Amino acid sequence: MTEDDINSLDPDVQWIVAEARRPVTMDVAGRERLMEAVRAEAQPGRGALEWMFSRRTFEIPPFAAAALAAGLVGIGVVSGLLFHRDGQQADRPRAEVAEIPQLPGSIAPRAVKFVLIAPQAARVSVVGDFNGWDVSADPMTTQGADGTWTIFVPMQPGLHTYSFVVDGTHFMPDPAAPMAPDDGYGHKSSVVLVGGSSL
Amino acid sequence: MSSDAADVQRVLNGDVDAFSRLVDRYYERCARFAVRMLGNRDDAEDALQATFLRAYRSLGKYQERDKFSAWLYRILVNQCRSLAARRNQRDRVFVREEALLLNAPDRSPSWTGEDEEFVQRVLAELDPLLREAFLLKYVEEMSYEEMSTLTGVGVSALKMRVKRACDRLRARWERIKDD
Repeated sequence: MTEDDINSLDPDVQWIVAEARRPVTMDVAGRERLMEAVRAEAQPGRGALEWMFSRRTFEIPPFAAAALAAGLVGIGVVSGLLFHRDGQQADRPRAEVAEIPQLPGSIAPRAVKFVLIAPQAARVSVVGDFNGWDVSADPMTTQGADGTWTIFVPMQPGLHTYSFVVDGTHFMPDPAAPMAPDDGYGHKSSVVLVGGSSL
Repeated sequence: MSSDAADVQRVLNGDVDAFSRLVDRYYERCARFAVRMLGNRDDAEDALQATFLRAYRSLGKYQERDKFSAWLYRILVNQCRSLAARRNQRDRVFVREEALLLNAPDRSPSWTGEDEEFVQRVLAELDPLLREAFLLKYVEEMSYEEMSTLTGVGVSALKMRVKRACDRLRARWERIKDD
């Protein structure tokens, strides 16, 4: 018997496990609604805007991207701050977010640049409601030895919550952005408004 | 090529019905996790819709070397997290309205009895992180390595969460006996 074996559990907890394993009955119409929604979708991987959501589209050199953001848009830049919201001096990585419109129109997706300075990190990713909080969905890349990690993420206009994940497990909010309400999982996250005039 | 991978290829070649087979294969298992995690069927259905739609849109990114079930579960777990976070925010806003509903009977046609209601309530009392780890380990019967890949959390931290969940469930049960 291993520590993982259900038989090693307290009998009362075993009963809870047994009950929780029972199948649940769902409204059959829910599955029909799902397939209706699926049939209304474009074929996966063949959408007209696929190029926009391809990660390689946004592999732009950081300085060129920053110049593009400043020159063409001039908005939406939230600079990395030296101070946290509580006024304490930052002794940990700082971050900034810039956004670049890819298409005209208020509903066009935007490429949002996330930047985190984390010299000690072995890997960094950005997670949020835009990628299902998937740690592996949007890995950030770094060039040089200054520990600046960047990524461009295509995002729909609107309010989004996000966080950085350092070395796969350490969630950290963006020290330069407003904090989001507690998500109930102990992860502090930040808020970015895409396509808006201010935060 | 597994049947899952074959169906994924068929979907990518334009056969939407092949996705229906994937849904049929995994819907009930995903539904169980979502209901146990979120505590009610309405939110669970929202999570399922979002999960399968996101999976459909992302099928082009699915790598055949990965197990489809693990790939799908990673989406599901993240969708449940997002939905729970949004629900927490909503609950704070509508706390007064919720208070009025506390004594309202559960009219869900799929409610099956006191045992299920009791299990849902004791699970709901767990911290979401502990509940998630407990369900993945003992209800979905995943290994700690699978859980680590899925959640991005280290094995030792997951073992601690599962142990704490079990301890709290046992303590809760003891209180019920005393009452």
